[in-house]
Amino acid sequence: MKHIVVKTGLILLAAATIQGCKKNLLDSVPYGQSTSADFWRNGDDAIAASNALYSFLGDEYMFAHTEQTWDICSDDQWRAGDHPEDQAIEEFTYEPSNPQLNDSWARKYEVISRANAVLINVPGINMDEALKARILGEAHFMRGLMYWYFYRIYGQVPIIKEENVTSNNYNVPKGTTEEMNAIIESDLLAAADALPLEYDDANIGRATKGAAWGYLTKFYVYQENWSKAIETGEKVINGPYALAPSFGDNFKPATKNNSEMLFAIQCTDGWTENVTSIYSAPRPWGGWGFNEPIKDLADEFEPNDERLTYTMAKVGDVIDPGESNGGPQEVPPGLTNTGYFFRKYVNWRPDGGLDNNMNIVMLRASDVYLLVAEAKIRSGANGDAEINAVRGRNGLGDVSNATMTELIHERRVELAGENERHQDLMRWDRAGIIDLKAHYAKDRGQWKPGRNFTRPKNYLFPIPQRQIDLSNGVLIQNPNF
Amino acid sequence: MKRSCLLRTSLSLFLITALCSIATAQRSITGKITDDRAGQAIANVNVTVKGSTRGAVSGADGVYSISVMQDDSILVFSSTGYSTLEVPINGRSTIDVTMAIGSAKLAEVVVVGYGTQSKRDVTGAVASIKGDEFRDLPVSSPVQALQGRTAGVNVVRNGGSPGNTGSIRIRGTGTINNADPLIVIDGVPAGNLNSVNPNDIASMEILKDASASAIYGTRAANGVVIVTTKRGGFEQPNTVSLNAYTGISNVHKTIDMLDAPTLVTLKKERYTNDGIAINPVWEDPSNQVQRTNWQDELFQQGKVNNIDLSLGGGSAKSSYMLSAGYYDEQGVITNSYFKRFSLRINSDHKVGKRLKIGESLQLTRTVDNALNTTSAQDGLIWSAIRFMPFIPVKNDDGTWGSSKASNEYGDINNPVFTANTNDASNTNTRLLGNLNLEYQIVKGLKLRVNLGLDGNHYSGRNFSIIVTDQTRTTNNNSLTKSFSESYSLLGEYFLSYSNIFAGKHKVDVVAGYTAQTFDGDNFSAAKRDFLNEDPHQRYFDAGQTLNSISGNRYYDALQSMFGRVNYDYDKRYLFTATFRADGSSKFAEGNKWGYFPAFSAGWRISQEKFFKVRFIDDLKLTAGWGQLGNQNVTGLQYLALIGNGGRYSFNDNTVVGAAQQRLPNKNISWETAEMSNIGLTAGLLDNRLQVSLNYFNKTTRDMLLAPPTIGTVGTLTIPDQNVGVLKNSGLEIDLGYRVQQGDFSWGVSGNASFIKNKVEKLYDGNFIASQTYGRPNEEISRTYEGEPLGIFWGWKTNGLYQTTEDINSDPNIAKDQRRLDGLIEPGDVRFIDTNGDGRIDDNDRVKLGSPHPAVVYGLNADFGYKGFDLSLFFLGNAGLEIYNADRMQGLDPTYSFNMYAETANRWTGPNTSNSIPRMTTKRNNRNYRTSDMFIEKGDFFRLKNLVIGYTLKETLTRKAGMSRVRFYVTGQNVFTVTGYSGLDPELGYTDGNKQINVDYAQYPQSRTWIFGANITF
Repeated sequence: MKHIVVKTGLILLAAATIQGCKKNLLDSVPYGQSTSADFWRNGDDAIAASNALYSFLGDEYMFAHTEQTWDICSDDQWRAGDHPEDQAIEEFTYEPSNPQLNDSWARKYEVISRANAVLINVPGINMDEALKARILGEAHFMRGLMYWYFYRIYGQVPIIKEENVTSNNYNVPKGTTEEMNAIIESDLLAAADALPLEYDDANIGRATKGAAWGYLTKFYVYQENWSKAIETGEKVINGPYALAPSFGDNFKPATKNNSEMLFAIQCTDGWTENVTSIYSAPRPWGGWGFNEPIKDLADEFEPNDERLTYTMAKVGDVIDPGESNGGPQEVPPGLTNTGYFFRKYVNWRPDGGLDNNMNIVMLRASDVYLLVAEAKIRSGANGDAEINAVRGRNGLGDVSNATMTELIHERRVELAGENERHQDLMRWDRAGIIDLKAHYAKDRGQWKPGRNFTRPKNYLFPIPQRQIDLSNGVLIQNPNF
Repeated sequence: MKRSCLLRTSLSLFLITALCSIATAQRSITGKITDDRAGQAIANVNVTVKGSTRGAVSGADGVYSISVMQDDSILVFSSTGYSTLEVPINGRSTIDVTMAIGSAKLAEVVVVGYGTQSKRDVTGAVASIKGDEFRDLPVSSPVQALQGRTAGVNVVRNGGSPGNTGSIRIRGTGTINNADPLIVIDGVPAGNLNSVNPNDIASMEILKDASASAIYGTRAANGVVIVTTKRGGFEQPNTVSLNAYTGISNVHKTIDMLDAPTLVTLKKERYTNDGIAINPVWEDPSNQVQRTNWQDELFQQGKVNNIDLSLGGGSAKSSYMLSAGYYDEQGVITNSYFKRFSLRINSDHKVGKRLKIGESLQLTRTVDNALNTTSAQDGLIWSAIRFMPFIPVKNDDGTWGSSKASNEYGDINNPVFTANTNDASNTNTRLLGNLNLEYQIVKGLKLRVNLGLDGNHYSGRNFSIIVTDQTRTTNNNSLTKSFSESYSLLGEYFLSYSNIFAGKHKVDVVAGYTAQTFDGDNFSAAKRDFLNEDPHQRYFDAGQTLNSISGNRYYDALQSMFGRVNYDYDKRYLFTATFRADGSSKFAEGNKWGYFPAFSAGWRISQEKFFKVRFIDDLKLTAGWGQLGNQNVTGLQYLALIGNGGRYSFNDNTVVGAAQQRLPNKNISWETAEMSNIGLTAGLLDNRLQVSLNYFNKTTRDMLLAPPTIGTVGTLTIPDQNVGVLKNSGLEIDLGYRVQQGDFSWGVSGNASFIKNKVEKLYDGNFIASQTYGRPNEEISRTYEGEPLGIFWGWKTNGLYQTTEDINSDPNIAKDQRRLDGLIEPGDVRFIDTNGDGRIDDNDRVKLGSPHPAVVYGLNADFGYKGFDLSLFFLGNAGLEIYNADRMQGLDPTYSFNMYAETANRWTGPNTSNSIPRMTTKRNNRNYRTSDMFIEKGDFFRLKNLVIGYTLKETLTRKAGMSRVRFYVTGQNVFTVTGYSGLDPELGYTDGNKQINVDYAQYPQSRTWIFGANITF
């Protein structure tokens, strides 16, 4: 009997030992993750944090798709696809609850949050100073870029900076127009100051001086600050950002990072996905068939403008969508509804899958050339040189004493599908150069009947209703919604 | 020691012989014990001689044998679940007895935390369900067997896919977080019931109120289900039992969709109405040919097979139960299945006079394939409802039919193709066991130790093939495998003391310490580009490219001290006090510990001398109050985490970022549920009628909510905060009546719960959103202060506009820009401008309905006549609404899908329809936004189970060497009475507790018929 008691005692002891070997049973730590207390130790942590600035850009609800949606308002394309919210955007009947409006909102702020984290924590790291300066420059660039895209769509949004993070104060009213302009300009200037002109092979794709100057040029043009636009734009033109020999080089995986590419969302097959490509490819050829160009855009191209075939494919063009899609063939009727698709964004692998190695283009030097030309024309100077640089590589003859008419034409064909047209048209309408209401009221066929553009309501999209609700009265809706 | 002799030979696989010596100065009495229901033999009945310690136990055949002395006069028969019987011997040597079941339910012993209690003495709200009540049902999990059995316990089915268990809700949904109750299996708090073989279960006790469950402290806020598995009996002959059944299942309903010719007509009408050219594909005569009813093609006849074999018995010192089971269900959708293999060994041993050692060990392996059925992108049922009816399943050349030819045919893949090529599975291998020791220190004082282990190994696999011929293509094939291992260790050490002082003061005390740790480790890897997709090539070695690999670990622990005192004065006044202190590793230092007291009292009025109501045999009034905790949220939320910030590449050099994943909440601690309960139980008419009434009020405070967060924070995870208050209150009624008249016995019982759920406080007065449905991403459910969880939120409507005058004179849209632009047309829906601003917009949305039933009820009836038995179990819900989201998408003509057949009755001109809008490709009026058009009554009454059995005459079975043979036929979901138009009114949760009773066309519950046999050797 006694030995049983002893044995039992031993079992109990053993059991108590199994659990008791931990000093304190209730202590736990997160595994495989750091806490804010044990991160930001060195340059490697800073680089990892800078990488995270970029990783969100290619998200479906960021620049890969949602941001592309704003341009279906333009006269270049029909929305296609099956998103009901897109129809409301195209027809200017959108309401504040339109999901596209909310989709990219928090995601853009996530990039801002990551930039703020870098700006708060990296200065205190003991690391290579040049690298530190570059990483801080990247954070400024990315934050300025997000506020720039916010500004174009919503006008004014809450401005979240380092001090909001440290004081945990995120529910703030919209910044004023002056504050919006100030943060975009100061962030892009700080970035232009700190960033290198170019990178080694392993880092191509990070923000450069050229990228910051390019966005600044665009910002100044929107501000109608012609002198600064010209001054900044010429830094790009005179920098190591030469136009690619062929327009088409910008849209091929092999030459995706040529000198003209000021900024692009980098994609690598098997690692990241190019969602823009999936959205743009015709459905029978492996895509989802959104954003189809219309005939009105095709007609804008001059005869012999080789940009047409690189920009869009039409029925009868010979395309190779890869083996599983039937190999090289003429685009059959019915492949898409409008008869066209944006070829800029779609490449197929030889086996037929979509080639995810294609980048998502954000800003090309040719855009900056045309912005400089516009600044010159609108400030009474001559912009022929910049326009002709863009035309020349496409085998088109020079223009002389170009006016806004030539400039508007050139921007449309050069940048078709790159999410600039609707913004350009609104900018010109505000300046009284065109009558956008009349322009959009025009019936352009089945895929672009006349639409009712209301000034000033439709210059801006509404703040997402969900965000208004969540702010408990702090966020005020844009006028007329 | 002298004993009677028993020699028995059994024709089982195991041949057991027991030899004893024959007594001389005594005589023996034998007899058979049967129940009053179907005359079935009762095993394990304790037969004792009154006033002595001599006893015996009946065998599986109900036969007992006991030796008596000359002066013995009374035999006492007792068994759990039967009323104790005293029979005078009167010189007889054969005494057959019939024991009444059910009528003595109050005399039952129920398992409560850390002990058992006579049901008579329970002061908390405890329900008990015996294994016998669900033994013949084709259920994959014991969870399903709980459905409708007792008031206050609701099992909400989340679709009927094989192996889907549903969610248990005890006394309403107590929190917006995980509201599942704590499951305790043979003393081990063990997470879930899924892997337990229902046939192994002896009983399930449900601790409903705070005073009953407070002993489980921080984990008891949502109630506790205590599962006790079958064990062998001491001095029992070995008994082999076999239970086997086989059956089929079918869907009882499909959605009526348009046939091809009608669909083509309606598709064309869309263009004509809009004044645009008809897409040429609709002129193709081939599209007018009806070829496929996709739902009929996707649904098949399911199969279910089950076999359980058990062996049990025991000597004077040891007893055991060994069981093995195999359950195999093929679902009503091709390639959906659930299989379970289970093995159980339970044994008990007496070592010396003071020490008892017992163990339970369960090994199970489940394999299932949960198909994606409801996704509005590629869900199988979603796709089958919408796929074009003129597309064949397979083309003449043997390739799969596809919608790839035109955008007009919808961007969905052939669902039969998808189901047939699916290669995914989940395998869980679980070891659950415990060792318990009970050592009697002195009489009445025992030390008990319970050491438990719950280990699970999960392996998930998914191979996606290259898909090029369908609309949704897959460019690269890939294999993903996930492994995780989790194990939980339990150590419990407690003292129990029981004594009666001065004959009237009965005291039971339990006090102890318990700790449980939870460790888990997991990894997942994916490889792409398999050159050959043959099944034998679908392994990592054949993949060309490493795609991803990830892994993690977690550790959680709970540590507790607990105590309970039961005091019973003269069997009239009962008191229970419970206290538990719990520490959780999930919270920061200073917030780890919580303290949970509970008190209850009972008054057995029928024991009072003044109580002389003849027809009331037993009457007890109870009241209790207590606090319970819930810590079932993500751990370590007091820390700011920095982790994987996503992938990127620079010039094809791949990198990974690091970013903050979560904001910290340093103050996070548990939710506390405070509950009070008043109960009345009564036994009337010789205890034939049992009545139990309970009223409860449960308030969950400090409910952990991740507050909906303003987008300026980014997409980081927001930590939970202790901010919400949720209230559940309700009335529970249980009634039972049982009668025995000669060979005929019958009983009926019913239960009903009336539970109200109300959110009293949320973060900042804001609402909690839920996920959106379908292609238009329609928001359907919201949770607001002052309302129950997940109410339906949208626009009110009032028919359709019949004429242009209707539109122009409608004050609802007097200032609406869309009306001014001419975008609203006759045949569009008239939405109600609830805020009176003359425009229809987001601000016009209001509450449309509630998904919570006013009453959930169950009805049981059973009848026995000689060898026949029949039992019926009905389940009903009433006073609730369902949001038929699938119909909302199904009527919408603006998508390139097939539509519900009822769209044939669409609006085509003034007064042609006031409910089904016109055909159009335009979405200007958003006719199919969330509105009251898609709210339906969700009441249903369902014959959930029907069991008909026949037990062969024993004289016959004896000849075949078997002691008992019973055949049965069971039907499940036999019929349903409902006005609901969707596939199945028994819906569930689609987004945690935030979205309830929204019809996504979930995997429907099937009608199942099985034929089976119980054989005992």
